[in-house]
Amino acid sequence: MAKLSLTFESKVVKEVPIGSRPVSIGRSPDNDLPIDNLAVSTYHARVYYEGGKLVVEDLDSLNGTFVNDLRVERAMLHDGDTIWIGKHGIKVDATADTAIPWDTGRKAAAPKINETMVLDTKARRDMLQQAAAMGERSQLTAGRVRMPTLVVLNGKTEQKEYVLTNKLTVIGKSPMATIRLRGWFKPQVAAQINQRDDGYYLGTGAKIPSVNGALIQGPVRLNDGDLIEVSGIRMNFIVRE
Amino acid sequence: MVSVSTRKEARVLTKSLEGDVVQIVSGGVSDVGRVRTNNEDSFRISEPMNLFILSDGMGGEAHGEVASAMAVETVEKFCSNPEERKEDSGVTLHGAASDTWLPQTKTLQNAVFQANYLIYQSAQKNKEQRGMGATLTAGWLSGTKLSLAHVGDSRAYLLRTGSLQQLTNDHSLVAEQVRRGILTPQQAEESEMQSVLLRALGANADVEVEVDEVDVMPRDVLLFCSDGLTRMVTEPEIAGKLQAEMDPKEAAKKLVDLANERGGLDNVTVIVVRIQDESKGWFSWLRRDSGKRE
Repeated sequence: MAKLSLTFESKVVKEVPIGSRPVSIGRSPDNDLPIDNLAVSTYHARVYYEGGKLVVEDLDSLNGTFVNDLRVERAMLHDGDTIWIGKHGIKVDATADTAIPWDTGRKAAAPKINETMVLDTKARRDMLQQAAAMGERSQLTAGRVRMPTLVVLNGKTEQKEYVLTNKLTVIGKSPMATIRLRGWFKPQVAAQINQRDDGYYLGTGAKIPSVNGALIQGPVRLNDGDLIEVSGIRMNFIVRE
Repeated sequence: MVSVSTRKEARVLTKSLEGDVVQIVSGGVSDVGRVRTNNEDSFRISEPMNLFILSDGMGGEAHGEVASAMAVETVEKFCSNPEERKEDSGVTLHGAASDTWLPQTKTLQNAVFQANYLIYQSAQKNKEQRGMGATLTAGWLSGTKLSLAHVGDSRAYLLRTGSLQQLTNDHSLVAEQVRRGILTPQQAEESEMQSVLLRALGANADVEVEVDEVDVMPRDVLLFCSDGLTRMVTEPEIAGKLQAEMDPKEAAKKLVDLANERGGLDNVTVIVVRIQDESKGWFSWLRRDSGKRE
């Protein structure tokens, strides 16, 4: 969803999403985006969608509304534009808009939301690029390879370190186990680690493992540095880059 | 409209890692749900081969059904007739991405390529089929190795020692956003964009197939399901039902019923495969007896 970010002296003060309702900007606190400054009129301007396009409209303010240095009464906004009201800049973020196929003005042909649809290759690429741009703040930016690793601290295992490369990693005595335990009373499957969309999850086996000292209640997402204990083995879960 | 197929006799697998005799039982159920008028899901349990195929079709009118049926049939045919593989396949068979894969994993992957190409071709030829497509999730057990091939947002799960683990990645926009850290899993579940797929059979002449191999163990339960189940029923509930019901077809039916109780917004298809414990150990006669009594 598109949003407006109010900045003052290059710091983001407030963010407001733009929905179907217009976003009002002004000095009065009942505005959607209130700006407490004497240079701002009580109801200064508003931003809204018109025919799928984002528009800013000046509400006859005293000191005017500017879009990228240009004083406007009414102007179409684009992603990356800045609306200036006094010394306050309002950054327009509309990256997500074009990514939503049924919001681009082709409403008649848009599929029903609960109907499955496939993106063709180009749309998919665009969408992912936008998704990637949005996700810059995330840890998972391209170019960095993350290697989840189990480092064995105590206990009998064949290796001291295991890089988790599989969807499913078994810890146990079973010959199929990646992290093979030795010893008479070790279970076939002591615990298992499952790679999911958002990370690695530790699940129970014949034993209930503990993470950072607490027994797990169900599959638990592992965080960098977590200490895992199961069946006499102590391990560190570490994400290497 | 319920179509049901079940295979209940246990089958002896040819080989297993520790020399144990491993048997499997399986069953599946497909249901139209409570809202839709037609069932676009298809599934197939190919008993002699231990091949399990599930597909969720999409496209207007009856074309989703056509696409998913085509997907399931093509994959089964391709895997069961190795001689016919090279003929009349307009698609180039891709070299496997990994040389360490078993031959049947490569075959399964090529079967999916083939299914994609046939659906794509059919949609190109017949105007009214434009836009039809299908997901596909297939598992092929040989010995204790499970070969997996997957495109779309149907899922394969493994229940082992009470933990339910998803073996496939959803090829949906929201899942991709979760992988990139843009959405949390909770946000993805609430998203309106859940139905937007990044990959499906029939969308392009070529398709990227997710392929994997997983080792199975005695007492594992495999689950293949369409999104009609996973959108209505939570994973702990699925795990609970699979643990409580030993008969695979009954378990599948109970899961379908639960999805319908929750609203049944989409077609629901479930295949359950249970790997039985038949070890030759000292107490095996005890286990065998308890198996019969059940």
